[in-house]
Amino acid sequence: MLEVENITAGYSGVPVLKGVSISVGEGEFVSIVGPNGAGKTTLFKTISGTLTPMAGSIRFEQSDLLSTPPARRPHLGIAHVPEGRQVFPSLTVMDNLELGAYTEAGRRDWSRNIERILAWLPVLAERRNQLAGTLSGGEQQMLAIGRGLASSPKLLMLDEPSMGLAPAIADFIFEKLIEIRREAGLTILLVEQRVAEALEFADHGYVLEAGRVVLEGTNEALRADDRVRQAYLGM
Amino acid sequence: MTVQLVENVLQALAAGLLVGAIYGLMCVGLALIFGVMRVINFAQGDFMMLGMYAAFYLFGAFGIQALFGSALGPYVAAILAGPIMFAVGYIIHLTLIARVTGTRTAAEAEGHFAQLILTLGIALILQNGGLIVFGSVLAGIQTPLSSSAWEIGPMWGDFLSVFVNKSRAISAFLSVAVIIALTLLINRSRLGKALRAAADNPEAATYMGIDVDVAHRIAFALGVSITAVAGGFLAVNYPFQPFVGLEYVIIMYAGVVLGGLGSIIGPFWGGMTIGLVQQLSTLVLPTQLQNTAIFVVFLLIIFLRPQGFFGRVAERT
Amino acid sequence: MQNIRSLTPFFIFAAAYAATALLVTNSYYQLMLTMVLVWACFGLSWNVLSGYTGLVSFGHAAFFGIGAYTTALGQIHFDLSPWFLIPVATVLGGISGLLIGFPTFRLRGVYFALAMLAYPLALLYVFEWLGYQEVTLPMKRDTPFAYMQFSDHRIYTLIALAMLIIFVLVTRWLEKSRFGMALLAIKQNEAAAEAAGIDTLAWKLRAIALSGAIGGAVGAFYAVVLLVVTPISVFGMLVSAQALTVTLFGGVATVWGPVIGSAILIPLSEILHAELGHIIPGIQGVIFGVAIVVLILAAPEGLFWKFRDFVQHRWPGLISTSAEAAVGAPVTPLLKETRQGPVTRGNVILDVRNLSRSFGGLKAVDDVSFSVREGQVLGIIGPNGAGKTTVFNLLNGFLKPDSGKVLLDGKDMVGRKPHELCAAGVGRTFQIMRPFARMSVTDNVVIGAYVHAADDAEARRLAVDAIERVGLTAAANRIAGELATIELRLMELARALAGKPRILLLDETLAGLGHTEAETVIGVIRKLASEGMTIVIIEHTMQAMVRVADHFVVLDHGAVLVEGPPQAVIKDPRVIEAYLGKKWMAHARS
Repeated sequence: MLEVENITAGYSGVPVLKGVSISVGEGEFVSIVGPNGAGKTTLFKTISGTLTPMAGSIRFEQSDLLSTPPARRPHLGIAHVPEGRQVFPSLTVMDNLELGAYTEAGRRDWSRNIERILAWLPVLAERRNQLAGTLSGGEQQMLAIGRGLASSPKLLMLDEPSMGLAPAIADFIFEKLIEIRREAGLTILLVEQRVAEALEFADHGYVLEAGRVVLEGTNEALRADDRVRQAYLGM
Repeated sequence: MTVQLVENVLQALAAGLLVGAIYGLMCVGLALIFGVMRVINFAQGDFMMLGMYAAFYLFGAFGIQALFGSALGPYVAAILAGPIMFAVGYIIHLTLIARVTGTRTAAEAEGHFAQLILTLGIALILQNGGLIVFGSVLAGIQTPLSSSAWEIGPMWGDFLSVFVNKSRAISAFLSVAVIIALTLLINRSRLGKALRAAADNPEAATYMGIDVDVAHRIAFALGVSITAVAGGFLAVNYPFQPFVGLEYVIIMYAGVVLGGLGSIIGPFWGGMTIGLVQQLSTLVLPTQLQNTAIFVVFLLIIFLRPQGFFGRVAERT
Repeated sequence: MQNIRSLTPFFIFAAAYAATALLVTNSYYQLMLTMVLVWACFGLSWNVLSGYTGLVSFGHAAFFGIGAYTTALGQIHFDLSPWFLIPVATVLGGISGLLIGFPTFRLRGVYFALAMLAYPLALLYVFEWLGYQEVTLPMKRDTPFAYMQFSDHRIYTLIALAMLIIFVLVTRWLEKSRFGMALLAIKQNEAAAEAAGIDTLAWKLRAIALSGAIGGAVGAFYAVVLLVVTPISVFGMLVSAQALTVTLFGGVATVWGPVIGSAILIPLSEILHAELGHIIPGIQGVIFGVAIVVLILAAPEGLFWKFRDFVQHRWPGLISTSAEAAVGAPVTPLLKETRQGPVTRGNVILDVRNLSRSFGGLKAVDDVSFSVREGQVLGIIGPNGAGKTTVFNLLNGFLKPDSGKVLLDGKDMVGRKPHELCAAGVGRTFQIMRPFARMSVTDNVVIGAYVHAADDAEARRLAVDAIERVGLTAAANRIAGELATIELRLMELARALAGKPRILLLDETLAGLGHTEAETVIGVIRKLASEGMTIVIIEHTMQAMVRVADHFVVLDHGAVLVEGPPQAVIKDPRVIEAYLGKKWMAHARS
C-alpha cells in the first residue's frame, strides 16, 4: 500500500534521513522505533509532504506521492496524527473533528464516522463543545486520533501517541488503537518510543537509528533481538 | 454650563460610536489577514483607498445612482466595492504575496522581512498609481443624508438633545451587519473553519487536507474586501484622496492591536475604541492632537497588554 | 589595520564620488549628489539597528525629524550655528534612541515594528500642533561659512561625503567588534545569544542609541541643505520608508547596502520626477514601488548579498571569509583519556531544590531536586515529554520556576536572566541546535567567549582554544550553515566552553548522531570531564550515557523517578517500564 524507497531528507541541506526504505502492506500494522533524532518524525513529514525529500520515491496505492501536493494527500486516504497532538486549540472538539472530515471521503461518511468515533472515545462526546486547547494531554491525544479517523483514512499514521502521557493513559490509548484497528480494519503506521506496545501488535517493525534502518523484521524477531533493548537501555 | 458639557460628551460619544463601527469593520479586514497569515500588510490602507474610489466610480458611473437614488445608492456602491476588491486582493496574493509567504517560506526567518517590504512596495505603487489615475483632487460621494440628522431628545426638559448624522448612522449600521455576516461565515461555515484551522496550526491543517496557501489567498482577499467596504462607508462621510490610506493604516493597526493580534472579531471592538478615543479627545485636546491621542493609547496598549483586550495569547510559540 | 584595508573599495568610491561632485556645477544635479549621500547615511542609521539586530524599525523618521527640527529651531530661536547644532542633534538623537528603546525593546517582532511606527507619527502631529508647519532657516548672507550656508553646493556634497565616511567607519568598526557580533547573534537567535552570555537588552540599547545618533545627525544636516523643514517631510512615513528601502535594496547588515541602494534609487526617482513628474505626477513613487517589489521577489536580501553569493558561487575562493578549509575535513579529534578510577567529588556546585513549573494545567516539572558536585557528570534521562529540557530552561534562566530554588555555589539564582547565569558559570547547548548560521565556526564560538573576555583578542583566543578542545580546528573557518550534524554539535559545545563555564548543561548532544559519530562526541565529553569540567547531560536513551555519566537522575512525567549510579538505574524495573512499557516487562519475565 505504502512504498517508501531510498528517501533522503532533512532540513536546510543537512540530511536527517539517509536512504530509508520501508513498506506497509494493506491491513498491516507497522511500527518504527528508534531514539530521538533518528528521523522518525522527519520520515512522517516526508510522507505527508510538509517536508520535500532530496532524493527517493514514495508510492501510495497507485499514485506517486511526491508529485501529489501535500494538501491532496489526505484526500487519497492518508491520515497523519502528528507528534505533540497539534489539535486546533481555539476550536471546539466538534470543530476539530469536522476539520478531520475535510476530505471527500470524510464528508461522505461523516454521520457513520462521528458515531463510531464518539463511541470509541466517549470523552470526546462529553467535551464536544469545549475548546480543544483546554483539554488535558490525554484528551488532546484522543481528539487527534479521532480527528484522524474522521477523514475515513485507508492508512493511519501515528507519531508518538504516548508522548508526555501518564502510563495508564498511554496504555488506554494503545488499547483503544487496537480496538479501533480490529473494528475498522485500518492499516496503521506507528512511530513510538514505548517499544513493547509498539511491537506487541505490529506485524512488522523497523528500528531507525541516525537516519538509517538498522534493523527490520517481524514482531517476534525484533522482540527477541537484544539490539532493540540496547538502543534504549544500553545493556 | 453643566448641561452643555453633558451634551458635548453625549454628542462626542454618539459620534465616536458611529465612526467607531466603521473603524471596527476596517480593522477586522486587516485582522483577518494577520490572524490567518501572520503577515503585516502595509498596503491595507491603500486597498481601502481603492475601495473608496471603487465605490465612488460605481456610484457615479455604473447607474447605481439612477437605480437606487442618491440617498441609498452610495451604500450599495460601497458594498459592491467588496467583491471587486476581493478579486483585486485575490490576484495580488496569487501573483505577489504568495511568493514570499505561506507554507513555502514558513521556515525561513528572512521571509518576514520580505513580506513587510513587499507590502510597503505595493503601498507605494497603489498610492502613486492612484495619484496618476485618480488625480490629487479631493473626492467625495455626495448623499443628501450626510447633511441631515436625527435628533434624540430633547431630554431633561428642553435642555439636552443629541444629533445623530443620518449618513453616519446608516454606515455604522451596515458595518455592524457586515460584521455579523462575517462572524457567521467564520464560525459556522466549512470555509470559515478551514480558515481558522489554517490560522491555528498550518501544519496540522495540511494534514487535514486543507490547502493552506489557498486558505491564505481567500483570507487575504476577504480581508482586503472587508476593509474596502469600510472605506466605501467612510467615503460617503469624509472626503478622500489617493494618499488617504496613510492616515488610516495607523488607526487600523492600533485597533487590531487593541482588539488582540490574532483574534478576528476582537479588533472590531478595538476599532470602536479608537473611534471613541478620537471623538472624546476633541473635548479636551485641540483637534490636531486627536491622532496623537490615538498613538498614545496605541503605545500604552502595546506596552501594558500586548495581547489586546480580547486576544488570548496572541503569539504562536 | 585589516579593517581599514578591507575598505579600500569604499575609499576609491568616495574619491571618485568627490571628483565627480567637484566637476558637476549644475546646482540641481549637485543637490542630487548630496541627497544620495544623505539617504545613504540615513540608511546606515537604520542598518545599525534593524539590519544587524533584525528588529525592524518603521519609525526612524523620529530621529531624522528630531535632528532636523533641532537645527531649524536652534538657529531661529537661539541663533546657533549648524556646526554646533549638528553635534547637538546627534546627542539628542542618541538620547531619544534610548528613551524609545528602553520601553520598546520589551516587545518582539511584529509588536516592535508597530510600536516604532507610532513614534514619528505622534511627533508629527505634535509639531504641527506646536505651529511648526513650515519652518524656514533664516539666511545669513554676511557669515555664510559660520552658518553652513554655501553658495557653492559642492561643499555640501563634500560635507555629506565626510559624514558618510565617518558613519561607514563606525559601522565597519561595529561589524568587526563584539558590538556587531552581539547584534548579529541577537538577530540570528536571541535565546541562544542570551544563553551564550550576551546581555541582549544592553546591546540593543547601545544599537538604538547609535542608530538614533546617526539619524539625528543626518536629519540635522538635511535641514541645513534644504533650508525648509515641515513635519511631513521629516517625520512622515515616507522618511522611515526611505531608510528601509535603500538599505533593503542594497543589502541588509552590510555597510555597502545603504550606499548601493541610495546610489541607484535616489537618482532614479529624482530623474523620473524631473523628467516625467509634471506630466505624470507620482510616477517616481510607482517606479520606486515596482523596484522594491521586483527586488524583493528576485533578491530578498538585497543586491549586495545577491551579487556576493553569485561571485562566491562562480569563483569560489575570490572572497576569503569562508574559502579556506572549505573542503570538509573529516572530524576525528585525537584525544587522550586521562581519567582513571572513580571520580573524586568536590563540593556541591549546583543544588536544585523542589523545583516545579506548570504550563497551563500540565505539570512539566514537579518537585524535582538533585545536586551536582564539582567534577561530576550527571545524566538526566527519561522518555520524551518527561520534562528534561524544561529543567534545563529553569536552570539557565529561560524559564522561571513556579516554586523551588536553584542554588549555584549556595546562591539562589532564580529570577536571574540567562546571560547573568552564563556569566556566573552556567553554559549550555540546545537539543534543537541553534547555530548562528551565517557566521563562521570561529565567530560562532567567539560569541560565547565574550562573557569572560576583556577584549576582542582575548575572546578570539578563548574561541580558538575551545575549538581545539572539541577537535574542530580543521573546520574553524567554515560557515556554520554548511556543517554536518556532528560538527554543529561540537561547535555548540565549543561555544558553551568558550565562556569558561564552571558547569556545562548539554541537551541531547547525541541526538541524531550515528554510532561512530556519537562515539566521537562521547570521547570529547569524557575528555572534558577528565579535565575536571562539571557536566549535566540530558539524554533520551541510556545507551551512551552509561559510559559517560557517574550518576543518573531519571525523570518521568516531570518528577524524579529513580536516582543512583548508572548500573543500578538501568536495571531498575521502574525505569525499564518507563522506557519499554509494562508489556515488555511481562514479556521479558515470561
